[in-house]
Amino acid sequence: MIGSIISSGIVSPAWDNLFAVIIGMGFGFALESSGFSSSRKIIGTFFGYDFVVVKVFFTAAIVSSLGLLYFSYLGLVDFSTLYIQPTFLTSAIVGGIIMGIGFAMGGFCPGTSLCATAVGRIDGLVFLGGMFIGVFLFSESFPLFENMYYTGSEGAKMVNTVFGISPELFTFFLVLAAIGMFVGAGWVQKKVQKIEY
Amino acid sequence: MERKYTILAILLIVLALGLVILPKKNELKETDPRLLLSEIVEKSRYLTVDQVTHRIIENDPTLLLIDLRAPDQYKTFSLPGSLNLLTDSLLTRSNMELFNQPGKDKVLYGNADITSEKVWLLGCRYGLKRVYIMKGGMNEWFNTFVKEKVVSGTPSTADLDLISFRKAARQFLIGTGETTNTPVSEQVKEKVQVIRKAPKASAGGGC
Repeated sequence: MIGSIISSGIVSPAWDNLFAVIIGMGFGFALESSGFSSSRKIIGTFFGYDFVVVKVFFTAAIVSSLGLLYFSYLGLVDFSTLYIQPTFLTSAIVGGIIMGIGFAMGGFCPGTSLCATAVGRIDGLVFLGGMFIGVFLFSESFPLFENMYYTGSEGAKMVNTVFGISPELFTFFLVLAAIGMFVGAGWVQKKVQKIEY
Repeated sequence: MERKYTILAILLIVLALGLVILPKKNELKETDPRLLLSEIVEKSRYLTVDQVTHRIIENDPTLLLIDLRAPDQYKTFSLPGSLNLLTDSLLTRSNMELFNQPGKDKVLYGNADITSEKVWLLGCRYGLKRVYIMKGGMNEWFNTFVKEKVVSGTPSTADLDLISFRKAARQFLIGTGETTNTPVSEQVKEKVQVIRKAPKASAGGGC
């Protein structure tokens, strides 16, 4: 969205950092108000007693997809000016596995650990320290991983083009999948013993 | 499920369904001739062969090279990662999807600039974004990277960097790099003035 506002000349790129801070604060507020600063709540997804993480992220995905498509239809957003993160398949898979393990072990992802630290949680602070050590080690040993990091370049790939369907139809299926997931998560949550935290 | 969540779920499904059944907008609008003229006058559509080659070597994921030459020429030699499109099938649905890919810089090249210019103009007419032309096409690329250009006089540091880059690119892309390590420049034969030392005077006399 920032890209869209800046590339259309509405605001100067000099405002980038200010926008980043405002959006970051909004993101942090949303995380905290969803309870994401609690590692027990986050880890609940893996144990089946709390699916708030999946619910929040699925909600964000469907709301933003619907919003973008409607805005595009009304001519308020130009899709071609949106930045799409390029896909590097190998590093995405390897990074995803490492991140998943870290997520399950520590009970945080990078964003939520910052959120937890901000509200004074010690486990968040420890996770954050570990994250910075990991970032430092990765940066220092980057030449060893460089080839793997850049292999499997797929460019700015969209899921709907992989399936050969329109973005609108894909979003419709995504909404159905999300609602199915909400119902399924609720059913599992009822079956699993409740944990007080 | 609670009632409020049921209502929200229904609302989301209706909104998503609305997207599917809404009549598709006719995207193709007449381009304002003044806008088209300003885009033609503006030269930012051109990328130099050096810029394109640099991005190829950097494995830039946003780069999409489109080769507009005949298939036999494409098979003989083409830039790495390029796709061969025939101009007569340019407006097929799959090709238009290719041109409409978001986040990609579509760089056109032919043997020279004429075909690329025509396709670029057509792209402008269709409202396509991020379409560029590799200035001079494959002829220019060949002249720059395969044929060595002789630099007259003493090359500047920027010239030396460019020459080194082109040599490295040639080795990287076609594997027939230069063997010498010195930059290409006119070798000026300088007359070496040999200053001969006067023969040491033999010790005269002494013990």
